[in-house]
Amino acid sequence: MALSANLLAVPVAAPLLTAALILLFARWGGRTLIRHQIALTTLALCINLAVAALLFQATAGQGERFVLQLGAWEAPFGITVYGDGLSATLLLLTALVALAVYPFAVATIDYHRARMGFHPLYLFLLTGVNGAFLAGDLFNLYVFFEVLLMASFVLLTVGAQPAQTNSGIRYVVLNLLASTVFLVAAGIAYGTLGTLNMAQIAERLPLASPAVRTVFAGLLLVGFGSKAAIFPLFFWLPASYHTPPPAVTALFGGLLTKVGVYTLFRSFTLFFPELLLTWQPALLTIAGATMLVGALGALAQPGLRRVLSFHIISHVGFMLMGLGVALSGNSLAIGFGLGAAIIYLCHHMIIKTALIMAGGAVELYMGSDRLASIGGLVTRQPLLAFLFFMAAISLAGVPPFSGFVSKLSLLQITLDTRHWFVSGVSIFASLLTMINMMRLWRESFWGDYNRPSRVPSRILQSGARQQLMLTPVAVLVLLSLILGIWGEPALRLSMQVAHQALDRQAYIEAVSPAGYISTPSTKRPIGLSDPVAPNSPAKLPGSTSTTLLVSR
Amino acid sequence: MPELYLRLLNRILTPVLLLLALFLLIRGHNLPGGGFIAGLMAASAFQLQILSRGHVIVRRTIGPYLNSSIGLGLALAVLAGITGLLDGSFFQGVWFSLSLPLLGYLKLGTPIIFDLGVFLVVVSFATSYLLGLSRVSATGERLRDDSASPVLSDDSSLDSPDLRVETGRGANS
Repeated sequence: MALSANLLAVPVAAPLLTAALILLFARWGGRTLIRHQIALTTLALCINLAVAALLFQATAGQGERFVLQLGAWEAPFGITVYGDGLSATLLLLTALVALAVYPFAVATIDYHRARMGFHPLYLFLLTGVNGAFLAGDLFNLYVFFEVLLMASFVLLTVGAQPAQTNSGIRYVVLNLLASTVFLVAAGIAYGTLGTLNMAQIAERLPLASPAVRTVFAGLLLVGFGSKAAIFPLFFWLPASYHTPPPAVTALFGGLLTKVGVYTLFRSFTLFFPELLLTWQPALLTIAGATMLVGALGALAQPGLRRVLSFHIISHVGFMLMGLGVALSGNSLAIGFGLGAAIIYLCHHMIIKTALIMAGGAVELYMGSDRLASIGGLVTRQPLLAFLFFMAAISLAGVPPFSGFVSKLSLLQITLDTRHWFVSGVSIFASLLTMINMMRLWRESFWGDYNRPSRVPSRILQSGARQQLMLTPVAVLVLLSLILGIWGEPALRLSMQVAHQALDRQAYIEAVSPAGYISTPSTKRPIGLSDPVAPNSPAKLPGSTSTTLLVSR
Repeated sequence: MPELYLRLLNRILTPVLLLLALFLLIRGHNLPGGGFIAGLMAASAFQLQILSRGHVIVRRTIGPYLNSSIGLGLALAVLAGITGLLDGSFFQGVWFSLSLPLLGYLKLGTPIIFDLGVFLVVVSFATSYLLGLSRVSATGERLRDDSASPVLSDDSSLDSPDLRVETGRGANS
């Protein structure tokens, strides 16, 4: 089935248009209006999921690549929207997570927050995340980062509790710093390579001087890395995730850091795959430290949601480890690491969202999330306890859930490529995950029933609400189980996705068919003919940038 | 009451600014200008209104419509992109020329609708932002007055200002 590349616009346009319509009619009506908003948002989320599934089937299943040049302006001049298997995988999971969290949000978000624009903000966040996955040039990537940053900032602070505002400030300041670093990198790319189009950057970067390449790569690693919450740059995450309503935390935990992880994958596979080998020790060190710090830090947290959100950091380390070994090993194993990281990403997005939602249900029921003061929920909420347990052991990597498949494949590739130390660290971190999960389970479900809050909890008494909250958790746990049982086809699919992502020549050709991209630097490749050029950055990339600057 | 010169300036400058905004909006496709700049220009006209006539009046007249107009602008911009699908690709410009009796012909197209959407978003966002700021400054003034007298005021409007609440209240009043 041939799909039009115009479908790529839907994941961005559909949520944006729906949010705009909601805002347009936001003046009229009270609670009925909120109901209409909910219906519209659900419709947009369903359309988004359907389109993402179509795209996933075409790209990951059949190896197609979609390129949409907005307004039919060709690549270096217009805005490129690019979708391949990696983008589509993340789009599909994002759509899934967004649709799964939404019923939970509907059940738990209070009228005040809904009136302040919770539902359009949800869609704006989705717009930003989807746009970041589809962006084909650095500047639009930056724009969509800002869209999702602003939407998430307002979602964090809406309701204006003092703790929320406090954490919101820290969140937005640290993330703006990261965005600035990324913007500097984009500026360097434009100044030295004369382009912001990602395909063109990938084409020209080998011609640039090593200094430019190193600085560009380093800045991108810092910028995207702090979005992804890697080891020394993760402080915004534990500072902010535990303060908003649980639905928002679940959405953030499922989506936000994954945008950073996706951009790390994309930039390392497209721009500088050679650095995956030369920087491998550094990447693996960061990955190991991230895993360890995330798991150890989670052990020290006092609250249920704090443990779960701190634990996200540990998982980012696993994904980074997969990226670090993506190009190692013999020719058969090339890309295996990335494929394992992708399947780990899927597992993580599904099960982390489920777990945070289950934890949020516990918190809403108990009126508090302090592990020391709650307990004994297993007798009162057996279904919730069951789902939480399933999600927890899936996260810890117990077969037959998806955690087992993804952790095993990651471990396999690191052991095959003889990175003994980091694989040892990952096993240790998995063990710590297990301890963490068992701690959560023991503290909140076992023991004597203890509910610290005196305020009666209605939220899980109402049958409809309870169904809205627990059905998505059950669906996600089931998905994790399916992903674990059919692990082999899933792994094969993610290997295909990884190979597609690693094929940078095909990316360049897909975005810019040969004739269009010919510019002074490619007609006259100084960097290849002139041996002095790589050492004098002004000479080689400067030729491009000066002509461009003068012509403007 | 605001200064006399502000009231005079308001009378002269507001129509000029609004016309200039319209001009910039239409000319923006090929020349410097466009929806964003025109939106800022129109917002400065509204700011002049706030300065010369006080923010209460401005809030009462246009405050309730600001959120809706942001939504309308965004919807217009996206719809302009979707219209491009008629010509084959998302955001492709669909053009048609309109012949006018005296002016020759006018070339119209979806980019103008897109620009109009941007214009609406920028002007309503900037105006609601300015209204919020003017409210903060009014609160600050009252706080300064209150600090002179020892009586603590328990006014609810001293809470942190919020645009949505603001426009919501405007709608109720």
